[in-house]
Amino acid sequence: MRKLLHELETMPKFMYVTAALTLFGVGVGLYRMLVGLGPTTNLTSAFPWGIWISFDLATVALSGGAFTLAALVYVFQFEDLHAATRPTVLAGLLGYSSVMVILLFDLGRWDRFYNVFLHPNISSALLEVSWCISAYTLILIYELSPVLLANTRLKFLLPFIKKYTVPIVIAGVTLSTMHQSSLGTMFIIMSPRLHPLWSSMLLPIFFLVSSFAAGISLVIGGASLSNWLFGRSLKIKTMAKLSWFIPWILAFYLVIKFGELVITEEWDLLFSSGTYSAMFWTEIVLGVLVPIVLFSIKQVRFSRTWSLIGALFVMGGAVLNRFNVTWFAIAGVDGETYSPHWMEIAVLVGVVAGVVTVYSVIARYFPVYEETETSHSKDEQPRPLEQSHAVGD
Amino acid sequence: MSHQTNNPRYGFLIDASYCIDCRSCMVACSVENEVPMDSTRIWIEETGVTGTYPDLKRFTAPFHCMHCKDPSCVSACTVSALTRNEDGIVVYDQDLCIGCRYCLYACPFSVPNYQWEEPLPLVIKCDMCFERLGEGQQPACAATCPTGAIQFGRYEEMLAEAHRKISEQPDKYVPHVYGEEENGGTATLYISPVPFEELGFPIAGTTSPAYSNRLVTEGTPMVAGMMLVGLTGAYLTIKHLKEESEQEREESAHGASSDAAKKEE
Repeated sequence: MRKLLHELETMPKFMYVTAALTLFGVGVGLYRMLVGLGPTTNLTSAFPWGIWISFDLATVALSGGAFTLAALVYVFQFEDLHAATRPTVLAGLLGYSSVMVILLFDLGRWDRFYNVFLHPNISSALLEVSWCISAYTLILIYELSPVLLANTRLKFLLPFIKKYTVPIVIAGVTLSTMHQSSLGTMFIIMSPRLHPLWSSMLLPIFFLVSSFAAGISLVIGGASLSNWLFGRSLKIKTMAKLSWFIPWILAFYLVIKFGELVITEEWDLLFSSGTYSAMFWTEIVLGVLVPIVLFSIKQVRFSRTWSLIGALFVMGGAVLNRFNVTWFAIAGVDGETYSPHWMEIAVLVGVVAGVVTVYSVIARYFPVYEETETSHSKDEQPRPLEQSHAVGD
Repeated sequence: MSHQTNNPRYGFLIDASYCIDCRSCMVACSVENEVPMDSTRIWIEETGVTGTYPDLKRFTAPFHCMHCKDPSCVSACTVSALTRNEDGIVVYDQDLCIGCRYCLYACPFSVPNYQWEEPLPLVIKCDMCFERLGEGQQPACAATCPTGAIQFGRYEEMLAEAHRKISEQPDKYVPHVYGEEENGGTATLYISPVPFEELGFPIAGTTSPAYSNRLVTEGTPMVAGMMLVGLTGAYLTIKHLKEESEQEREESAHGASSDAAKKEE
């Protein structure tokens, strides 16, 4: 007990704040389940989805690093990227968990969510999303289990887990590809409501490709932040190797995005739809063009600060894109608009704070980062766990 | 995959020129389905007051589920709570619904409504009073309408009647049967003396987005299969290449060392 108190005292101070926010947010979420969506959200029949769905889509995109990296390391065997898989899989797992929690708050009939499995409608894109996300979360737990089990009595399971890693990873990459794209497919049926600059038959491909870039950027950004907060991070060489992919992915994205507008003869909308054109260009310039330039420069890829800046641009662009598709570029019925209720925001902040708290605790106590940069750790407490070389590697 | 988009068995023909905005249809719907007046499955769309005094005009028309031949809501529904039955009626199974509200967004006519104030809410949507139909009765709104603005009958008869009315009085009606082609065709048909967009009706395309949606979603298992095979193939190929180059390197290293050994000799 005293040991636990001591540990709590040594936690970085920001974690008290995040823990408090989590408790408050979850409290508000439970209240929403008790009284319904009407009193606690600004959702209406004209805007039945709000900031929660926008957040879910953005989070899934940012969590795309886990399957991108798993594919690179295990399938395409870029073994020098291996050190990045653990923090990425952890971030992915927490991202998906937060999406599932938010979805449960969002679902009108959360009391029978299991009907998704009992009464599937295979032509629904949302069904595909929910199946793949559920299955993929299990796979992420499997992929992370070597880290969590490394110093426990269940260690003996590790060789067994390792044996099936490749087939499981391949299944995971497939499931991810499916749901990252299905999230885009969801908006094909909503084409009467979505602005034509975003509405497209290629939405599944747009979503998939942008999730590669957003996911990798989250790994790079996360590793930079972790370096400052905990003195644990990836080698700059590993980070540079990862960010090397970003300009290629984004350039590919740019080609299909503009190609689609040309083919469907909608390119005139690029300049003629006022605010929508402005939002589209913000997304493209800040989220795609700027990072392409930045990460094409070798000095940027080898600088932690500049890599973080570049990664933030990519992530910002992806998040803005998902918010545009789910919210800003959706036409209301009879001009109705939507802005979130404070309780919707409180739930979101709470869940995000929960994710930050859990990630910090795990990154602190478990061997998440195998390559450690030790330069910044002089005034920190000695680590509770030494770096272990888990059997799962 | 095959998908039934046949003509519905029954249809509505709603004539906006007969509607007097009495709202009896809403009352009838409320009574029939035991729902409060603010969450009826039918409501009134209107042009607002137009023209200049003394030539003022105002047109109204009741609006409810169009019962599409290829309904977006049915394609969107995660759990098959919304289905199109053999009579072409889009029905809602409230015991399956999980409340994802995808149908509210998917419907191009913004028809489904939601019990926002309920702790455990359900979707509010017209089911053509299919239980009344089974008893040989008309839907409550059509049975109640005092002016005959809401007609109900066999779909083919309603469609023929719509065209007959327009061709007999071409000066009275705009030459368009709303619902004949909208969203791929619907069981609810409208004729009107004013353009439909003035009545506040959505301008829907002639194909249902449900079709584009199915093109992608029903191809998913195939894409998943391709991915599984492709990724496994890529893994094994790269592994093989790596092992081969490793082997070659070892052999050449071995060869080099044996060469060196020979030279030393």
